[in-house]
Amino acid sequence: MQTRKFAFFLALAIFGLIAPHILDTFWVSLIMQILVFGLLALAVDLLIGHVGIFPLGHAAFFAVAAYTTAILEARHAQPTLVAAFAGVASALILALFFGLAVRTKGVYFILVTMAMGHIVWGVATRWSSFTGGDNGVGNIPLPKVGSLAVSGYRDYYYVVLIVVVIFTLAYRVIVRSPFGTTLRGIRESESRMRSLGYHVAAHKYAAFVLSGGLAGVAGVLYIYLNRFVSPPTAAFHLSAEVSLMAIVGGSGTILGPFLGSVVILIIRNYVSAHLMQWATVMGVVFILTVLYAPKGLMGLIGRHSSPGLSPAVNRSPQKNESNRSQG
Amino acid sequence: MNWAIQTLNGISMGALLFLLASGFTITFGLARVVNLAHGAFYLLGGYMGLTILWVTKNFWLALLAGGLSIVVLNYFCERYLIRKTQGNELGQVLLTVGIVYVIADIALVIWGGNPLRIAQPEIARGSIELPFGIVYPRYRFLLILFGIIIGTGQWLLYRKTQLGAIVRAGVDNRETVSAMGIDIDRLLAMVFAFAAFLAGLSGVAGGAFLTVYPGAEWDILVLALVVVIVGGLGSLEGAMVGSLIVGLVDAYGRWLLPEFSYFVVFGPMAVLLLFRPTGLFGREV
Repeated sequence: MQTRKFAFFLALAIFGLIAPHILDTFWVSLIMQILVFGLLALAVDLLIGHVGIFPLGHAAFFAVAAYTTAILEARHAQPTLVAAFAGVASALILALFFGLAVRTKGVYFILVTMAMGHIVWGVATRWSSFTGGDNGVGNIPLPKVGSLAVSGYRDYYYVVLIVVVIFTLAYRVIVRSPFGTTLRGIRESESRMRSLGYHVAAHKYAAFVLSGGLAGVAGVLYIYLNRFVSPPTAAFHLSAEVSLMAIVGGSGTILGPFLGSVVILIIRNYVSAHLMQWATVMGVVFILTVLYAPKGLMGLIGRHSSPGLSPAVNRSPQKNESNRSQG
Repeated sequence: MNWAIQTLNGISMGALLFLLASGFTITFGLARVVNLAHGAFYLLGGYMGLTILWVTKNFWLALLAGGLSIVVLNYFCERYLIRKTQGNELGQVLLTVGIVYVIADIALVIWGGNPLRIAQPEIARGSIELPFGIVYPRYRFLLILFGIIIGTGQWLLYRKTQLGAIVRAGVDNRETVSAMGIDIDRLLAMVFAFAAFLAGLSGVAGGAFLTVYPGAEWDILVLALVVVIVGGLGSLEGAMVGSLIVGLVDAYGRWLLPEFSYFVVFGPMAVLLLFRPTGLFGREV
């Protein structure tokens, strides 16, 4: 097993390194999107797969980081490093505020994060003197650090690849640390963790802020890739689709969210190229995933005890009662 | 003067939100179903009503058709899709989001991307002169009255009748109600149908002054969600108070701080939740 796993990652690494030289622009750009949105899905999955809470507003952090970087680059001609750090910082700061949502439970948390996400979308849409409204912010230059300048999509591909790999490895360290174990403990039973002396709320809050910050990293990568940002980046649709990516791929895993990103983005690109009704297809994917693959592709492959779509809920005795009475 | 107009605008918006939110909240209270498809129900109800209005030229038939079409649609959505996700909140949310995608996309194909106005009925056209010399659109004034009537009726039904008592008991403890020999599934079906009817009807009622347009499903859903979050999920009284608050705050926000109108609605909600995580009238879920 170990050697097979090694061979898989080696093949993936080689493919990742040579991809821009063997594929055309369309595919390279698609791979970049897959990496960026995969990172965003990974951020969301820290909460879905490990803490067992379901945020539906992560487009907010992604968009705030993208807008901040875009505005600093396009209007104030700030250097890339400053703009990028400010982007991630703005997402973190927003997460410090929105993180208070962890005080709410279950459905409330879902709905509250959704409404919070809508604030950012509303500001992006309505505060047009600052955010450009529906016209968005464009003309973002390619990133440049000192004498190192990205001169084309092929260069930027490697930037995306390196940043995503670094943050994914850091993510792996975090979820495998005692902190990550505590989060999964909270997912299994909040009351038990509390009685063991863990500060449950603080752990949830910390996970939320980390998740928001990571979404911000994805947002910064996105803005240099897309070089344009407008309100749909902050829309609820993105939040929902990113959650779907995490679920489709297999939540609670590291490869899962990226796999989900591959599936969703390929469907979306393929379908929208051939059919006007891509939203219908997307809706059907939502429905089929929930009904038939709640544990995602990693769940189908097996071995992984991914919690999928039914964490916490089925474990709380009170909910079980209502389940049974439903028949 | 302006204050009075904006206040009335807020109340009439609140009346519309109540129509949508009351169904959502009771459905949640009784069946623990988070049905985000309510937004799409609003949209599709509006379009169905509009179509019937084109054919029959009768607003009241349109209102009825908007409501009934959604009852049928919701029956199938509930029976074949939503029921399978019982007890799985994120699953329900994502599934119903999927339903919204599909319905909204099909509606776009059929009715196109331009906002369509539903013609107001004869008796609701023009404006009405209220005390203190306030001149206000008759339609929105009637909508307020309609909201009050539906709200009062619902409250009486919920609080003062045996049927209401059973529903309330079902919200508290479904197993016991079931054990008392009451057919809880039939009760659920009735509540679902009622909620769907109100959602479809609100689409027609709203379409007559807000127009029906692609995207309306999210615009109205998010406001309705704030209503139930502020009021407390599962509480009818909460939906009443929440609708009024959200309607008023939304109206004042659009008027006084147009660039931050969304923030004005959602910001206070977030703060409220810090102190009362289950809303004003909500209970632990």
